[in-house]
Amino acid sequence: MSILSKSGLPLDHDDAKKAAERVLDHPGTDGVEIVVAASSSGLTRYANSQIIQNTVRNEVRASVRVVIGDRSASSATTQLDEEHLLMAAGRALEAAKASLPDPEFPGLPVPGEVGVPEPVMRVDDATASASPADRAEAVSRILSAASGNAAGIYETGVHSFGVFSSTGVDTFDAFSRCNTTCLVDLDGATGWGEASSHTTTEVDEVAAATSARIKAERGRGAIDLDPGTYEVVLEPSAVANLIDYLAYMGFGAKQMLEGESFLSTRRGEKVAADSITITDDVYHPVSVGIGFDFEGVPKQRVPVIEAGIASQPVTDLRHARKLGSAVTGHFSGSNEFGPFPFNVVMEPGDASLDELIAGVDDGVLVTRFHYINILDRPATLLTGMTRDGTFRISKGELAEPVHNFRFAQNVLEALASVKAAGSDLVAIAPDYSSFGSTVAPALRVGAFHFASKTSH
Amino acid sequence: MKDLLRVALDAATAAGATYADARGGEYLSEALSVRGPLVESLDRSESIGFGVRVLANGAWGFASSAQLTPDEARRVGTMAVEVAKASATAISEPVELVPEPSHIAEWSSPVVKDPFAVTLEDKISLLAGAAETMERNPDVRVGRGTMDLIRHHTSFLSSEGSDITQTIVHTGAGIEATSVRDGEVQTRSYPGSFRGHFAAAGYELVEEMDLAAHAERVAEEAVALLTAPECPATVTTVVLDGHQTMLQVHESVGHPTELDRVLGMEAAFAGTSFVGIPDLNGLRYGSELMNITADATIPGGLGSYAFDDEGVEGQRVDLIKEGVLVGFQSSRETAARMGTDRSNGTMRAEGWEHFPLIRMTNINLLPGEGSLDDLLADVDDGIYMSTNKSWSIDDKRKNFQFGCEIAWEIRKGKLTRMLKDPRYTGITPVFWGQLDAVAGAQEWRVWGTPNCGKGQPGQTMRVGHGTAPARFRNVSTGTAQ
Repeated sequence: MSILSKSGLPLDHDDAKKAAERVLDHPGTDGVEIVVAASSSGLTRYANSQIIQNTVRNEVRASVRVVIGDRSASSATTQLDEEHLLMAAGRALEAAKASLPDPEFPGLPVPGEVGVPEPVMRVDDATASASPADRAEAVSRILSAASGNAAGIYETGVHSFGVFSSTGVDTFDAFSRCNTTCLVDLDGATGWGEASSHTTTEVDEVAAATSARIKAERGRGAIDLDPGTYEVVLEPSAVANLIDYLAYMGFGAKQMLEGESFLSTRRGEKVAADSITITDDVYHPVSVGIGFDFEGVPKQRVPVIEAGIASQPVTDLRHARKLGSAVTGHFSGSNEFGPFPFNVVMEPGDASLDELIAGVDDGVLVTRFHYINILDRPATLLTGMTRDGTFRISKGELAEPVHNFRFAQNVLEALASVKAAGSDLVAIAPDYSSFGSTVAPALRVGAFHFASKTSH
Repeated sequence: MKDLLRVALDAATAAGATYADARGGEYLSEALSVRGPLVESLDRSESIGFGVRVLANGAWGFASSAQLTPDEARRVGTMAVEVAKASATAISEPVELVPEPSHIAEWSSPVVKDPFAVTLEDKISLLAGAAETMERNPDVRVGRGTMDLIRHHTSFLSSEGSDITQTIVHTGAGIEATSVRDGEVQTRSYPGSFRGHFAAAGYELVEEMDLAAHAERVAEEAVALLTAPECPATVTTVVLDGHQTMLQVHESVGHPTELDRVLGMEAAFAGTSFVGIPDLNGLRYGSELMNITADATIPGGLGSYAFDDEGVEGQRVDLIKEGVLVGFQSSRETAARMGTDRSNGTMRAEGWEHFPLIRMTNINLLPGEGSLDDLLADVDDGIYMSTNKSWSIDDKRKNFQFGCEIAWEIRKGKLTRMLKDPRYTGITPVFWGQLDAVAGAQEWRVWGTPNCGKGQPGQTMRVGHGTAPARFRNVSTGTAQ
């Protein structure tokens, strides 16, 4: 029942290029760029210890950007036949004509100037072609290991991308992904486990479920702990939650130029502990992504925070020109949003999780956060809740479970107080998209502020 | 499209589906963003495809595709059953559906002026005029105008005989000024934050907003916020404007009364609810002034429609009556699990490629009496907060902290000095218990929220909220540090 091509991809390079060639010389234009994305994926969702939703999706999207002088506009379609692609180009052309002059438009990228991407092609055939039965079997293994009221997902899929342009861009890449999460609820005490990789063989769903069950078992009989500032150990999921928001708030050049990023005023300054280096790096061994941005520019490894120093933003061609710097290949696909880091990586330390806990005399362990939102962008001030495994740490050992907290914390201040980092890096898949990944270790943070608590 | 859907339905039934529905969609959208005199982005897109949802061996299966051929329709219909049979290997309780009459109907949301027929030049000119006005203020870093137009044309067929076609047009627009000084950023928007105000309407909605007339004030307020004093951390009377009351209803009433959350089906992702089925007709959710409906029948709401995405008629139901929980938002499956005899019609999918979920329709706080001035007049010392800026709430929807763009002190019934960074915290049933006034029908408006996220794979939904300004006593304000 697979609709994958002979290459094992939902769309291969040749098919994507053939589609693009239908519009690359669209009459009346000065330039055309087409981004073709296709995916074949399945997501099995379970709750109350049974499968509740189960979806298989085959999607394709072609986005055509048309240029007339210094004006441009885009139009997308889910149909790759000539008629629909020409209609999309026509809509984009009409829109570009109606648009206003854009003196900041840098033109479409030229491979001779921006370089030629190196495909990542992290595709595992078994992951790409996993069947509904394969996913259901994985869920059954999860439910056995969870042995409680369990909820989560098991997802597999393969995604391919091509960018082609009238200036000579011709690039293609793909990745597969397996992602699982497990929440176990034992009479209101909850625990969490998750795993993500480009291959099912690196995703141990039984370990994730077991971890969730152990946490839930330990979470029974949670006590109230007064809000306040504590030394904390943040597990990798919690660290990923924070650095995702940090990246969203301030890693892009547009936010920096518009004054909304910490980089706007603190570039070159010490903003975090010496041990903290955060990059955008799709080529990291456990990242999941593609080797170019949504205008076909090669992705560079960008150290946004390097050894605690606020270093540089990620850029697209437009903002690189404005900054007078080299383009890093991070066009998000939206000029309104600007460049974006899709593959954030925090460098690891050398401690085990037990060693991180052992260093804390009186503190709190956080498994993950929930419903984070921004209170102050330049200050990197966030609020959110803890969930699914919050414990007191006493004299270097995990002690009693505690009711969840609301935190109010400046992320950079937290990173400035980091005392140690875990040696294990964990890849976390994004919540709302199949694109990108965040790679994070556990952290021991010297000071983290909890503003209030809940009754669960 | 309907011919393809019939092929898919027949294939699903032949493969063993005991129930099947097929939903095809043609979605047209236009998104425009103008910054000062520049068109920042202009995207006009279409999305066409279909999805098949089936029950087989007591479990759900769903498959979708953008390939519009009979062979693909057969493949997708058969695949949906294969998926369901795989699901059935890990279920403990077979899915049952409450009955729903079959419907054969066509429906369109009312549109006075087709927004797609208005020239792009006119739309760009309107937004650029307002954005340039804002950027003429020397302390405004960014003046931005946005416009979003969406037309959904969907076809729904079911194995029970329903044949429904709906065309729904959503329109939204807004302006936003951002000021920056010494590392501080302040933002002010009109008519609402996060791309403005949305409704099931045509271009007449944009014209009624009169964005240009508000641009100068929005810019001035964004700049004034830079030097305004901070909203204090205290316990006081708070009056929320209609836009923030919308967010308050959305997060602390809309989500907790979704029956899939109540039943634990969203536990791992969005969370559950502090409310349980035994709380029905007994739990005091708020004060006696609190009356909340889920109403898909009001004109103009982003949650207004004739039929939901499993073919159930859109309805008006009470959720909270005089402060007491009296209803949940349900689907055919969750209504059966709860033991009621009909779904109240809240299942919607973001697109043809998504499995429908319980989504808010228009969750409305019914109006009380009087004007905003009347609400303020009864406040000796308090804070008036306007326009949502941030939101965070726990996984059971109980402990929340919300923030607004701007606030003013209330002294002896009158608004006095401006305050920046207003935030307040609360516990849902305690907070609603402190409600002591809701403004009347003259202040009531159906707001649109275009960005409600839920589900895995993630889906974004447009939902509506009818609200008026509301007053709450003894509220904790500021950010506890």
